[in-house]
Amino acid sequence: MGEMTSQPLRILVVEDEVLIALELECLLDDLGHVTVGVAGSSQEAIALGLATHPDVALVDIHLVDGPTGVAVAQALSADRRTTVVFMTANAKRIPDDFAGAMGVIAKPYSERVVAGALRYVADCRAGHAGSLDGLDGFRLAAQDGKRVHH
Amino acid sequence: MNVRPHSLIDSVDADGTFASAFAASPTPMVLADAQREDHPIVWANAAFLALTGYDWEDIAGRNCRMLQGPLTDSDTVARIGEALAKGAPFEAELVNYRKDGSWFWNGLTLSPVRDANGTVTHYYSAQADMTGKRNLEVAMTHANQDLGRQVAEQTADLRAALEQKTALLHEVDHRVKNNLQVISSLMLLKARRTPEGEARDALNGMAERISALSTVHRMLYSAGDVTRFNFREFADEFVGDLVAGIDGDRTVVNASIDSMAVSAAMAAPLALMLHELATNAVRHAFPNDRAGRIGITAQRRDDALHMTIEDDGIGLSAGPPNPAGFGRSLVEMVVRQLRGTIAWSETNPGTRVAIRVPLDAVSLRDATADPVEEAPQWEK
Repeated sequence: MGEMTSQPLRILVVEDEVLIALELECLLDDLGHVTVGVAGSSQEAIALGLATHPDVALVDIHLVDGPTGVAVAQALSADRRTTVVFMTANAKRIPDDFAGAMGVIAKPYSERVVAGALRYVADCRAGHAGSLDGLDGFRLAAQDGKRVHH
Repeated sequence: MNVRPHSLIDSVDADGTFASAFAASPTPMVLADAQREDHPIVWANAAFLALTGYDWEDIAGRNCRMLQGPLTDSDTVARIGEALAKGAPFEAELVNYRKDGSWFWNGLTLSPVRDANGTVTHYYSAQADMTGKRNLEVAMTHANQDLGRQVAEQTADLRAALEQKTALLHEVDHRVKNNLQVISSLMLLKARRTPEGEARDALNGMAERISALSTVHRMLYSAGDVTRFNFREFADEFVGDLVAGIDGDRTVVNASIDSMAVSAAMAAPLALMLHELATNAVRHAFPNDRAGRIGITAQRRDDALHMTIEDDGIGLSAGPPNPAGFGRSLVEMVVRQLRGTIAWSETNPGTRVAIRVPLDAVSLRDATADPVEEAPQWEK
């Protein structure tokens, strides 16, 4: 996958499916980012968030201890340094306020959409206007919440 | 002429015809004297005696209220009293009692009888046993209530069943998506750990095919219509993935895909077909850094999906024999499954593939009722 973001992002992966988490780590590495931790449960995720203050947290809704990803997003986004992005096959469970998250990457995702979403996040964090062109698998909380909730 | 009714009645009644007609009538009738104290009964016919179970001796000289009892509605009785006082006619249904104590619904009409001076001399009343009609009404009311209850119960059952089904659909949808992600991750992980070469290429190729299926699956349920998806949305996203994976300066992809609803049943085969043809063109048409362009078109015409994929690369016969083999036979299998036709041709330079796939009934269903069309279109 081509472009690398100039500034590597420090990313916390919150995903209980080990295979998905491992592959995602490899992908993030390919994209030039740093995975600061992988959490499979809500407690782990919140503890790792407090310990590492990641730039980005990619959060699945369904974790080992149930559909607790929403609470995780709430807790992690309380730290202004962290941008939370949901990564789930279950977008219907995301509340209207997105629990503080910036958007959602729909599973199953393609590597291009993950790369594009992270580029957008990095642009926003750097104060630039990001582009969502052609990123149908990535939806923002405010702009397009309507299509997430049927 | 104006004297005729009078003379008619006089002549008929002279023989007591009216009296005997009323006496023999099957309609219960009774006559009370309005000018004597407490309006005693002065006449009743046999039908009245049969209805009430009394003998003439039992009722002669008594007031009609003797027929009332505990279940008789006092308001109705009061209204009868008011009508009598005004000399007005009256009709009502009320409960009356027979001699044996049993009761019945009495539908009665009451009218004053006047003499030549207009003075009320008698009250005349005709009755009918309305118990059967009343029972029928009560039975109907009960039946209606029962029916209402049953409908409410069934509606609640159906609603619960629907909620369950919807929850199940979401659950299954979620699991399918998650499993597709796991399968894809598994393939990619294995590919990463496989040395460069044919095996790794095969794994990556499979991961891409799964990704194409995943993309179309994701679109199936996102538009709210589980039976159809918009082929253009899929193709646009797919082409986006394709372009991201190639050197954009060297190979240009032009896609012109019409917006069209396609049934869910055709989703997976169409996704695979588009994937194979487009990646084949990208992979094999331009070896050795050869530059070129790929054109993809899709239109709905004559109830069929017409798709072309062309490149200006080296052409079919010039390519190495094997690598494209699997992809090509996959495409032919899928086209056969969709009962379509496919034509491969050499365009010198390059290759052109033209496919025609008939659209099924679900795809062709009236587009005005189509949530895919109404959904905010794909902003680009």
